[in-house]
Parts: sequence; C-alpha cells; structure tokens
Amino acid sequence: MEAYLLAVFITALVYVLLAVGLDFQYGFTGLINFGHVGFFAIGAYAAALCAVRLHWPPVVGFGLAIVLPALIAWPLGRVALRLHDEYLAIVTLGFSEIVRLVIISEKELTNGGQGVPGVPRLFTVFASNGWNDFLLAILLALTCALVVWLLRQITRSPYGRLIQAIRDDQTALLALGKNPARFKTQVLMVGSGIAGLAGAFYAHYVSFVTPDQFTPLVTFYVWMAIIMGGVGRLRGAVAGAFLLVAFLEGSRFIRDVVPGVSEVAMSNVRLAAVGLALILFMRFAPQGLLGRRR
Amino acid sequence: MNRINRRQFIIGGAVSTLAAALPAFAQAPASFRIGALNPITGAGANYGAGMQKSILFAAAEINAAGGAAGRKFEVFAEDDQTTPNAGVLAAKKLIEVNKVQAILGTWASGVSLAVMPLTNDANALLMHTSGAVALADPKLNAKKMSFRYQGSSKHLSKAFMKAAQKEGLKRPAVMASNNPATAPHAEGFRKEWLAAGGQLTDFVLYEPNRTSYRSELQQVLRSKPDGIILSGYAPDGVLIIRDWFQSGTKMKWIMPGFAANPEFLKALGNEPTEGIVVVESIVNEGAAAYKAFAKQYESVMGKPAASNVYAAMCYDMVNVLALAIEAAGANASSAVIAQKVHEVTTGPGQQVGSFAEGRTLLKQGKRINYEGASSSVDFDDENDVDPTFAAFVIKSGAWQRTYLINR
Amino acid sequence: MDLVWADYANLVLNGLAEGLLIALPALAVTLVFGVARFPNAATGDLVSVGGFGAFGAYKVSGGSFLMAAIGGLAAGAAAGLASWQLVFKPVARHGSVTLLLTSIGLGFLIRALLGLGFGNEHNMFELPMMRAWTMGAIAINRMDGIVALLALATMIGVFALLHATPAGRVLRAMADNVDLARVAGINTARASAWMWSLVGVVCGIAGVLVGLKTQVSPEVGAELLLAAFAAAVVGGLGNPLGAVAGAVVLGVAQELSTPFVGFTYKIALSYAVMLLVLLWRPQGLFNRVQGVR
Repeated sequence: MEAYLLAVFITALVYVLLAVGLDFQYGFTGLINFGHVGFFAIGAYAAALCAVRLHWPPVVGFGLAIVLPALIAWPLGRVALRLHDEYLAIVTLGFSEIVRLVIISEKELTNGGQGVPGVPRLFTVFASNGWNDFLLAILLALTCALVVWLLRQITRSPYGRLIQAIRDDQTALLALGKNPARFKTQVLMVGSGIAGLAGAFYAHYVSFVTPDQFTPLVTFYVWMAIIMGGVGRLRGAVAGAFLLVAFLEGSRFIRDVVPGVSEVAMSNVRLAAVGLALILFMRFAPQGLLGRRR
Repeated sequence: MNRINRRQFIIGGAVSTLAAALPAFAQAPASFRIGALNPITGAGANYGAGMQKSILFAAAEINAAGGAAGRKFEVFAEDDQTTPNAGVLAAKKLIEVNKVQAILGTWASGVSLAVMPLTNDANALLMHTSGAVALADPKLNAKKMSFRYQGSSKHLSKAFMKAAQKEGLKRPAVMASNNPATAPHAEGFRKEWLAAGGQLTDFVLYEPNRTSYRSELQQVLRSKPDGIILSGYAPDGVLIIRDWFQSGTKMKWIMPGFAANPEFLKALGNEPTEGIVVVESIVNEGAAAYKAFAKQYESVMGKPAASNVYAAMCYDMVNVLALAIEAAGANASSAVIAQKVHEVTTGPGQQVGSFAEGRTLLKQGKRINYEGASSSVDFDDENDVDPTFAAFVIKSGAWQRTYLINR
Repeated sequence: MDLVWADYANLVLNGLAEGLLIALPALAVTLVFGVARFPNAATGDLVSVGGFGAFGAYKVSGGSFLMAAIGGLAAGAAAGLASWQLVFKPVARHGSVTLLLTSIGLGFLIRALLGLGFGNEHNMFELPMMRAWTMGAIAINRMDGIVALLALATMIGVFALLHATPAGRVLRAMADNVDLARVAGINTARASAWMWSLVGVVCGIAGVLVGLKTQVSPEVGAELLLAAFAAAVVGGLGNPLGAVAGAVVLGVAQELSTPFVGFTYKIALSYAVMLLVLLWRPQGLFNRVQGVR
C-alpha cells in the first residue's frame, strides 16, 4: 500500500509544480495560458535527452529543463501576450500542439512518436525501487516547498503587486508609464520554467517519455486543479493539485466498493466526473475552495 | 497395560487429531490474484475492452473447472489509458494494494516498458502483447518473468520482407501510421529490406486521426512504386485504400493482419480490397482453444472474434498461467510458475487446447504443449512467442491463405 | 521529387476538401463566439454527437443515408439546445474564461456519456465504392465532392438564415451588442436557445460528414477542435464568412506546404499561419478592429 501511496504522492507533487506555475500566470497576472503542457514537454524531453543521449549528470538536465522552456516562452510572450483573452487561449493551445508535433517530427533528436525509453531514475545508488521513490519524493517535496516560497516572496513584493495590477486593470498600469507586456512575458517565462522543472522530475520518474503523454488534456487537468483549489492563492494551487490527483486515482477504488461497474465504464465515469466537476465549480464556486473572492 | 493403552490412546488421539486437521490445510488453497491491465481508453481503446473481458471469461472458465492446482483466479481490472504514467500508477495499485501475482494484457510498448521494472521488483509475472524489441532485452527481462504473446517487431518485419520478396516486389514504398505501435514495423521493414540490398521509392509516416490522406497517397504514388507496404489501423487504412481505389491506379498492397480486420473489410466492401496481401501470424482458427475463445468473445462482446487478436492472446495468457500453476503446484512461487511456462507450452508434449485437457494430462504425469487461440504459443529463449506467419490474399472480402512465410 | 502543376492542383483540391470539412465546426465556433463571446471547446464533442446520431439512425433504418443525415442533424440540435439550457444559460453572464472552462468540462462530459452509451470503439459506415472524377492528372474523389457540396449547402443555409430571416437579424444584433439588443426588446434567452440549436445542427451535419468520410467514435470530433479554432481565429472570431474562408485558406495552405515541410509539420502549419495572421491583423482576416488588444 505504501509504495502505491508514494507513487500517488509523487504524481501529486508534479502537478503541484505545474499548478503553482500556472496559477502564477493566471491567478496572479491574468494570463490565459492554455499551452502549459508544451513547456512541461520541453522540460521532460530536455532532461530525458540529456540523460539518455548525452549521458550528462541529471543536474545539467534539470538546469536545461528549467532554462529551455523559459527561453522559448520569451518569443511566445512577445508575440501572443498582446492578444485578447480568447485569442491568447487558442494561440497558446496551438503552441503546445506545435511543440508536440516538433517532438514527433524531429526523429533524429527525439526518436519521434516512439519516445525516449530508459531515462534513469534518480538515486540509483540505492538499487531498490522502493528507496528510489522515497528519496525522489523527498527531493520533489523540498523543491515544491522552495518554489512555492519563492513565488510567495515574488507575489508579496512590489513586483508582485505590479503583476496583480496587470490582472486587475492594465490601463492603470499604462497610465503609470509602465509597460505591462514586459512583465507579462517575464511571468510567462517563470511559470514555464517551473513547468519545465516538473517535466524533468516526471521524466526521471516514469523513465519513458512519449509525445502522447503531453496532450492538451494535461493542460486542462492543471487548469482544473487551480480552479478547484482556488485561483490567485498559492496554497489553493497546491490543494487543487492534491485534490485533482485524489480525484483521478480515487475513482479506481470506487469500483472496489461498487462492484457492478465494469472497468470499461469506469474510465468514462471518471471523465464524466472531471467534466461535471469543472462545470459545477465554474457555476457554483468559481473562486475555488481556497481562493480569493473576486 | 493400562499405561501403554493410555499412551497409545494419547498418541492415537494426537495422530488422529492431526489427521483430522490435515484436510483443513489441504482445503481451499489461497486464490491466485491476477491484474488485468489493459488499454480501455486511449490509442488501444479498440482492443482494450475485449482484452479485459477475455481475461475475465477465461478466468471464470478456469474457476469453473476447479481452479489451477485448486487455486481460484481472482481478477482485478484496471485501465492503463495506453500511457506509461497511468499504467505505472495502475500497476502499482494492482501490485501494492491488490497484491496481484501476475499482470496480464498490457498492450502498448510504452506501458509494458514502464510496468516491467515494477513486476520484476515485485516478483510478479507480466504477460503482454507489445511489439518493441527492447522488451526482450535480457537486461530488462533479467528474471525471465515477462512473456510476449505477439510477434515481436523483429519477427513481423522479417515476415513482411519475405512476403514482399515472394510477391516479386523490387521497388516498393512504405506508408505507416506515425504511432509507437505501427511505426516500428515500418522502420523494421525498411531496415531489413535495405539490408537485403533492396530499394524503397518512398517512406511516409502519416499522422493518425486525420480526415484525409490523399496528399500522402499522391506523393507515394508519384514515386511509382511497384507495391506499397501499408502499416496502420483500420480507420486510416480504409481512408487510404478508398482513395487509392477511386484513383484507379493499379497497385499491390501488403498489410499486416491487424490493419485488414473485419471492420476494414466491411467498411470497404469487396471491390477495393480484392487482391490485397495480408501478412499475419497464423491465428489457430482450427484450434480448439480458438473455437472456445471465439464463442465466448462473440457472445460477450457482440463482435467477431477475428477483429481482436489481442483478446485471443489474453485468453491464452490465462490458460497458460493456469497450466503453469497446475504444473508447479499450489504452493509454488511466481518465479517457479514462470519457469513452468515454457514446459507447458513449448517443446515435446502432447498438444492440448484447453486448461481442463491439459490438467488431466499433467495429473497423469505427461508433458503437454498448449496450442492457443492466438498462435501456437511457443516461446523462444527471450520469452517471445515465435509465431508462424502466413500470407493471405483478400478475395471476395475474406482472407484466403496463400503461403506460409517462415517455416 | 519535382512536382508538376497538376500535382499542385491536386494538393489544392485536397486542401479544399479538408478545409470544407473543417468549415462547419469553424462556423459553429464563430457563431457561439459572436453571440456568447467565448470559444466553445465543446464544439468537437457536439460533432461526435452528430456522428453517433447519424450512425444510430443508419443502423436502425437498415442502411439509409438519408436517415443518417436526419439522425445526425436531430442529435446535434438536441445536444446544442441541451447544452444551452442546462450548462451555459446559468453562467451566461460570467466572463469568457469561465465559459471557456465550462465548455471544456462539457466536452469531457459529452465524450464520457457517448463512451458510456456506445462504447469507445470506432464505427464505420459502409459506403458504396465510387470512381473519382478525373480531368487529366487531376482527380476529385466523389465522396469529397459530396461532402463539399453538403458543407456548402449547410453554409449557404446558415448565411441565409442569418441575413434573410428575422431570427437571423436578432442573432446579428446580439452579436453586435447584447445589452443594446436587450434594450431593444429582444428576448435574448430565447434567441440564444435558437442560436445553440443552430450550432447543434451545424455540428450535427459536420458529424455526419466526418463520420461518412472517416469514422464515428467519442473522440473523433474532439480531434477537429483545434483546426476549427484556428480557422475561426484566422477568419476573425464572430465572422461566419470569415470562419469558412479561414478554414479553406488553412486547408489549402496546409496541403500546399507538404512538399516543403512534410506530413507531420503540415499540421503545425495551421497554427503557425494563425499566429502570423494575428500578428499582422489581430482581429482576423475579415473582422473590423474591435477590442482585440
């Protein structure tokens, strides 16, 4: 049981990183980024290829996994962030699909649709998988704590007030002579770097990355997490991530309790529950469980 | 006299109590837990439900016959969503929470590759239908507790090469769906073909789930191949063949069996499919196991059994597992059971087509060789099924066997 | 490999065929955006509903394509109307992000219900085989031709509705300015219901066409969503003619690019074109400048 719970915990922590990154972008700055999974993918592949093709130590892979998505976020930000909300959503969605298509196409680099197997797990000094996972969970938890702390410092600083002002009223900012576009791009870069970091952890945990693990569905899940947990509050994003994973994994056990439902039906029931939850949250609790009341 | 009598009485009493207790130990051996981990959703959704149901009804069959070495099968079903991360979580749940001793029916290579380290760690068996050559890697399958029930990519590519040669192709082209299951077949074929000194006029990997492949097809036809190897699934296969037929060009097509399934044949009708060559491992249509499987599959799923060869493989997995447990004994560990798998399926031994038949012979101390629904289920040294391939040609909407390929 | 002009012509025709197929969901996206002001992520799943409606009617009627068309249309309309009444109406006044997220949830729900009801496997129609029309080296598939004609007919129907009927006038008024429309006495709730039913019909027909060309399954519509979004954006969100034009432009551009970028990247091309268009003309090709930046 413990190993299973550990696996679930690790998955939840990966989602925590994704969620706080997205919340920083949307909850605090009002950026409607529907391409989050694209940066997750870039980070995951960067770490995977560093380890498998170049045999560099994981530290380098992790570094690249943070820096590369952030660098790629810069031109996207400059181009897309001046667009209005709905257009931005669609363009960023298109961007994440472009990333996926590039991964599939550049076979020499990424092995295309077949993915990169054999990404080494961290801490393989300890041969047993059980200990690997435990240490990974600890490292990941510490990383999450660090990232959340950093973000909290940022959002509480004058810079943080500035970006929240962007969310609330861009024109006021312009009136003060400050250019929102620059800040929006920076926020996009930070959030994307965090998503890349999540990708690096993910790659070293699942040990096998393929393009179809990085579809827009993952972006929607992360949005769900921040909606449920509460937009605009870092602890909301953390709570939302855990809630999301509890949701997705917990539905397995419903079947053990209610034996009549077949597994075939169960996956659809799970999807229906996710959809229904989104609809209901948006209608009755758009601020989420822990979020600010707007 | 009295003392001796009392001692005798006590000893007799003790012995008889023990004797009375023995049947209690021999009764009801622990059930054997199986994890059915299949692609219910995702890219493999077309096969997953059938695969899972096959495991369920096969296990029910074993239980109705009294269980394997008296052990009843308890099946825990999960969906791997055809992705490694979901597969890993599901496998962990099955292993850690449900304490399964075998996981059956992972389909995507990515899932099997991600799950194998977990089953190895837990000393559980893994029986899968994935094609990636990496799965047979001795470093990965070090404990030899994983078994592949589908022809590995390696075998399938060679079979295609032989078929293409036999069909007299000198300058073929290749079209394949760009996904982890079908692309390796195409790339394997290219490797084999080029290594044998042949040429290809074009090699196109197309994206799945599109509404049209005309541009792709037109490019391939422009290179004027004398034949096209098409490796995709039924929906794209239908689109491509339909487009090709409407263009009126003459062409020889070679496809794998999973692409030219009943769905494909029905959607196209007789005319366009006439003359297409199909390469497939010989599903033992004549085998008793196939008949038993097909009957149950059709009544449970309402679809033709030939449309889901992976479900037939899953049916065989359960039967093989049961026979191996029967041969190993009720108290055998999974590692010992794994060793028995070769014994009950491969090599000299009387051919059997069902668990009941095999059990009878095993009880008599005879050697058996299970012949399955999906293939003759004979494993090579790397625990890969070594299927016999055959070429078929489609005539009047049905496959007709033309020749064997590698025997 | 050197291409002759006929090869390029064929690519253009392929692009046209694909574009016309996407034009219907793109039209649906833009109609919703015009009136309700959000990109509807459930559009693709409404298309899937249409597909199942068509397939169901086809099976029940023993193979009649007419019944399939009617079934698809009816299923789409019902789903569209139900989406409005049950899901979108209660949150109609909320911001576009709320509505977008709601539509994502609705899409999942529809997909799951279709899977529960009909299973996740794909289903295909049995089509009679038809030879292509050829003029020299140029070929047009009959099925593509039929799909194109039906799509065009639907579009003409929708445009006629929007411009030549009172109901259409109401919708265009709402698209211009909802509050003004309400002040002018228009029952916006009822008009919205009509709009959603129309959107459902358009998606339903798209479902039939996609089902005939490819397959019917819970996932098939969602695959088209991004292409529909891209087309609607390129044409200018809210502009019906723009959506159709955008779809055709993207389709043709996509296929024409294949000799240069290959078959995988051609898909990325739509998104790249979308981005370029927005850089140059952020309101889309056919829209007036209106609150985009």
